[in-house]
Amino acid sequence: MLAHLVCAISLLVAYVLQTTIVSQTPLVNGTADLILLFFAAWALNERVQNSWLWAFIGGLMISMLSAMPFYVPLIGYLGVVGIAKLLRRRVWQAPILAMFIVTLLSTLFQQFIYVVALQVNGAPIAWGQALDAVIFPSVLLNLIFALPMFALVNDLVGRIYPLEVEA
Amino acid sequence: MKFLNGKNVQTIVIVLAVAGLLFLALSGYLTPVFNLTLNPLVSFESWMSIRYLSARDFLTAPRDVTQLREQNAILESQVTQLQTQLIQMEEQLGEADICFALLDFGRTNPQYEYVTATVIGREISPFLQYIIIDKGSDDGVQYGMPVVTQQGLVGTVDAVIAAASRVKLITDSTSVVNVLLQTADVEAQSYGSLTGDVSLDMIPLDSLVEPGDVVLTSGLGGNYPPNIFVGQVLSAQKRDNALFQTASVQPIVDFESINAVLVIMNFEAVDISPLVPE
Repeated sequence: MLAHLVCAISLLVAYVLQTTIVSQTPLVNGTADLILLFFAAWALNERVQNSWLWAFIGGLMISMLSAMPFYVPLIGYLGVVGIAKLLRRRVWQAPILAMFIVTLLSTLFQQFIYVVALQVNGAPIAWGQALDAVIFPSVLLNLIFALPMFALVNDLVGRIYPLEVEA
Repeated sequence: MKFLNGKNVQTIVIVLAVAGLLFLALSGYLTPVFNLTLNPLVSFESWMSIRYLSARDFLTAPRDVTQLREQNAILESQVTQLQTQLIQMEEQLGEADICFALLDFGRTNPQYEYVTATVIGREISPFLQYIIIDKGSDDGVQYGMPVVTQQGLVGTVDAVIAAASRVKLITDSTSVVNVLLQTADVEAQSYGSLTGDVSLDMIPLDSLVEPGDVVLTSGLGGNYPPNIFVGQVLSAQKRDNALFQTASVQPIVDFESINAVLVIMNFEAVDISPLVPE
């Protein structure tokens, strides 16, 4: 129950920070995505059990608030959790490295989905311009924010699920 | 010889001895002796004085430092309070400036009714150029209402909830605005882009478009009221095989630092999509 509560509050905080601060401080035209980073760090943690559920809820919430086509943020965030779950088993000895790899792959995946969805909906977006102006700067910003977000979420998870000490 | 008695002789000897010593001292012969005796004395005196002063400082200084620290803390507290007040007043002054400017725009365009809104956020996706304002359906804001600032056109209301609305900016890649080039007196269309640049298309080839030409809304299509300032032409491009000219536009509104906007309440956008042949 506590994990659900913490996840909901963290998502709300991340959303508010995203729309009020992070989205207003772009690098070229790209911005960091705190919600993506939160889901990546949350899903990478082995003790967390509810990452799929909250990726679904968060994706729906962002879909309703964003101007993107309805299904796109949902697919994007579910993809983030999927990538994180996939890599968690493979790079389990170096969680920070896993966080960087998940951030890189999931940002590329999400932005790819966004561009395709916008193109399907008639927006005249060229791939070259999208890569130069938005995708690469966004990847860079997400990689910069990945480490503090990972540390924050790890600390949060450590408080919610304390390690069991063997007698 | 009564004068040379024992007592007088003793006095004379003492006087001569003192005179001799004075003579020796004045002539510098006794300096080594003085040094030998006075230097240790001066050294001791100096040592003693330093210790005394140290002891006195030790006993008196802490009280002064404590007082100074207290005064310093009080002054720092006052400085912090004044700085906070200054920041608040600067913010209020900035808000007042914006309000006056918006009011000025309202006065110069009295045919419209406005609702002032504050920008509270931006779209999450960096591919889209939208802002979120703090006025929604509770304040009478509806889908399709034009949004302006004191400078010019901002965009149109794209989605509304009770207490907030989402505004699509004219810089968004899916935004199209019918515009009028004032100097050339020709109509064109402005397009947004992924990078937030605005460009003009559909300018007839025989029209003379020059940098600095003013771009206004034409009102064609019924999405925006006419004669709202959009920007100025930066450069025009005429390709050999193209049917129309294109131009780059510098928007008059600074979309990066937009804080407050006006929603035009008494303008109803006309949906002409059923009339457009597919």
